Amino acid sequence: MRRKIETQVIVIGGGVTGAGVLRDLAVRGIKAILVEQRDLGHGTSSRNHGLLHSGGRYAVRDEEAAIESYRENIILKKTVPGSIEQTGGLFVKVPEDDDDYVQKWVSACEKVGIPVKNIPLEQAFKDEPYLSKKIQAVYSVPDGSVDCFTLVVDVVADAVTRGARALTYHEVIEIIRETNGVSGVLVRNRYTGEEIEVRGDIVINAAGPWGANLAEMAGISLHLINNKGMLAVLNHRFNRQVINRLRIPGDADIFVPAHNVTIFGTTGVNVDDPNDFSLDRQELEMMLEEGAALIPDLLNMRLIRAFSGSRPLYQESTVADTSGRSVTRGIALLDHKQRDGVDGFITITGGKLTTFRYMAEKTVDIVCEKLNIAARCTTDEEIVPHREAQSFFKEVDMAPAAKHKLFHWAGTKAEKIEQSLKQRPIDRTVICECEQVTWAEIESTLTEDSPFNLGDIRRRTRLGMGPCQGTFCSYRAAAVAVEKDAATSEQAAWALNDALNERKKGMTVVATGETAKQAQLMEAIYNVSLRLKEGANQHV
Amino acid sequence: MQNYNFLDRSFDACLKCHACTATCPVSNVSLEFGGPKHLGPELKRLTDNQQVIDDKRIELCTLCGNCDISCPENVHVSTLTAYAKAIHADIEGTKLRDHVLSNAELVGVAASAFAPITNAAMTMKPVRQVMQIVLGIPAERKFPQYRFNNFKRKYRKTTSETKRKVAYFVGCYATYNAPEVADSFVEVMKHNGIEVAVPKQKCCGVPMFANGKMEQGLKNAKYNIESLLEYTRQGYDIVLTCTSCTFAFKKEYINYLQSADAHELAKHVYDADEYLRMLKEAGEFNSNLAPMNDKAGYYAPCHMKGQGIGNPAMDILGLIPGYEIQDVAAGCCGQCGTFGFKEEKYEISMKIGKSMSEAIADADADYTVTECGMCRNQLEQLTTKNVKHPMQVLAQSYVKNLEESVHASPK
Repeated sequence: MRRKIETQVIVIGGGVTGAGVLRDLAVRGIKAILVEQRDLGHGTSSRNHGLLHSGGRYAVRDEEAAIESYRENIILKKTVPGSIEQTGGLFVKVPEDDDDYVQKWVSACEKVGIPVKNIPLEQAFKDEPYLSKKIQAVYSVPDGSVDCFTLVVDVVADAVTRGARALTYHEVIEIIRETNGVSGVLVRNRYTGEEIEVRGDIVINAAGPWGANLAEMAGISLHLINNKGMLAVLNHRFNRQVINRLRIPGDADIFVPAHNVTIFGTTGVNVDDPNDFSLDRQELEMMLEEGAALIPDLLNMRLIRAFSGSRPLYQESTVADTSGRSVTRGIALLDHKQRDGVDGFITITGGKLTTFRYMAEKTVDIVCEKLNIAARCTTDEEIVPHREAQSFFKEVDMAPAAKHKLFHWAGTKAEKIEQSLKQRPIDRTVICECEQVTWAEIESTLTEDSPFNLGDIRRRTRLGMGPCQGTFCSYRAAAVAVEKDAATSEQAAWALNDALNERKKGMTVVATGETAKQAQLMEAIYNVSLRLKEGANQHV
Repeated sequence: MQNYNFLDRSFDACLKCHACTATCPVSNVSLEFGGPKHLGPELKRLTDNQQVIDDKRIELCTLCGNCDISCPENVHVSTLTAYAKAIHADIEGTKLRDHVLSNAELVGVAASAFAPITNAAMTMKPVRQVMQIVLGIPAERKFPQYRFNNFKRKYRKTTSETKRKVAYFVGCYATYNAPEVADSFVEVMKHNGIEVAVPKQKCCGVPMFANGKMEQGLKNAKYNIESLLEYTRQGYDIVLTCTSCTFAFKKEYINYLQSADAHELAKHVYDADEYLRMLKEAGEFNSNLAPMNDKAGYYAPCHMKGQGIGNPAMDILGLIPGYEIQDVAAGCCGQCGTFGFKEEKYEISMKIGKSMSEAIADADADYTVTECGMCRNQLEQLTTKNVKHPMQVLAQSYVKNLEESVHASPK
């Protein structure tokens, strides 16, 4: 007998859109369950710059997107403070770019209401010593940096504390159709193969680049442009603020400081397969060359990895535009009852990280209308618990750098983590030295119902995100996990293979110089010294 | 506070291999130190152009430079830890004791002026107990002697008239504590037909860097660079008998200042034995050395190893007929300049010194040869054998040869 779950609303997709919808539903008291094929944030939500737009980038060409961005920027800073760093941002004019655009841009920002301030060059050089000495003008905007991983995790966690449910590593294998509409989904657990039938009144397709595939399962034709962008991770966070190039938005013109690294990108190439995360060396080299106009030292900086993700851009008709840049970044909210005569099925797509809350609000407004519920959206006021924990860890004897990280990360788990740090020396051990992650933090992310997975731990703690890319911390974490009964040695070996393969993928394309050596060191440690068998029990 | 956004991005190359931590003398005997990898490249990566993170454990770094030697990627580990020290000293402030210890030169001037009293006092138990309580300098710790007739008082030549011209950077130790080393050097140069000039100079800065007094150290560095460049630009070579001063000139000035002048100076800087080895290669070395039937153990100071020039002292002393010299192949001595004079570091200093003292005891040698005055201090504390500078041995052989040839010559 197949297990069945009854709910009101089913949300497909554990990205930021799905997470936002789930939370909005929970805040309005609507029963909901989220299903995600892999871990939270597996898709586009963790494959982007992590830029909290001020709207400046869209001000000239897409006024509506600019207005939405600026409004949501202010709301998110207040409502998800734990995942946003208020770095501020700069728009920088270099000699290569159009002089006239500057005034146009300043006027457009003023019109939209984005606070723009001219920054004297000396000041800019003082704050950002890596800026090109050839720059001609600098303006500040209220950009920010978003931790996409914690954002999705925290928003879902808050929904769960309000009564929602989330099933990760559950892939939708069927959308259950009735005569006039849909009534649920069939999901399969990627680890165990178990199938679960989830029934509800409304199914929301928030699957991002996989949205067209899901719609097809419901018998609906949906044209999505999956516009793949490549991003590179720099070895260190060289900038304090977001650095944008002041020109018509193009490739390789944004640098976002993200924890201890800087994320640089991006490009835009349309692809067919939502699972296409391929990386191209030539594309990277073009990016670096372009980026050097703002940061000349970029060409000498170490890159630790690259990644790519697809922007799901929606349009009603097929238009030939391979760059995807002229397609609106606007939100597409499709009620398939109206569009295709399929009841109980809604697609929410397009949009941006910065506008995810607003997308959720609009979506849940329709849900309420359909279910005849009068609850008003309050996610513009309701705060997701902060991650600051400055009042903790004062007396814990541990590396100041690791403590520094905990101050900004521990959040609601601070008390529990502090206790374990105080009680057991092994919990104070810094497992990941690059990103200063202790065992206590790792342990705080482990759950009963999901197997030991270094990728899940990484997204929640930053384990293995630094320059060595898990060369040293992967085996340490796996060893301590086995020691502490958090994993069997078979699970640990699987987790190691899984993590290493994933890390290598991102390293290979940037693997020149130091990162090539790093990859070889990693190979030597795992395949020669530890003799880890490749490909053992690969079931996810 | 100083601006610490110095642009040393060598941390980019760190593969986290831990070679530096594995070879760090302090990490090898204590878990209290965070290790060179963490406190050097790792911390710099986390804080470059970002919020400063102060880690008190950096006090345990001795700036011995073994991390730099071991790094396969040429990360400037000790430069990064030196700056971590400076940041820490700026935030936490410098203890009175560390002010005193880092001012080796000032102490040298004062202590040598009252040398007999200073030396006597330093052996008096009650004095040392007060020093331990007030300054945190352990009573058991041996101190180098100070000399009233210091080298500065007796040697005042500031120019050289010979074909090869040597400008001698004496350093605090050979000036105030061991003028016999400086005398021997002048003697050795004389036997090679070279007149030695002593330019205006200040403490090289090594004890300041080690105590986080970066600003003061760099002030001295700039002074020395300016003073010595006047000589090198007139064709002088800069020769030193102290391996730590040499290390500063060749490496630290360049890494900390990153100036064209520092680079220019470094090209003309030689360790005394390295200089003699160069003369030998150029066919200018005076090989009239009297045989010596001594057995010596050579102890290589960390700052000697850090120069990456091999073992010039052994190369040169090996030229003395009958002289047997072997490398005792010991690691760091544990004195580490001012480090070993500090109460809270004394235990670590002794632990590090243990393997060194065992190596010396095991060596089949009559005495120990080493260049570094601070290593000598630890050697004298932890071993029973005498300690000589290579220049003393060499001078002895030259003088002996001269005496013998005088006796042998027909009347």
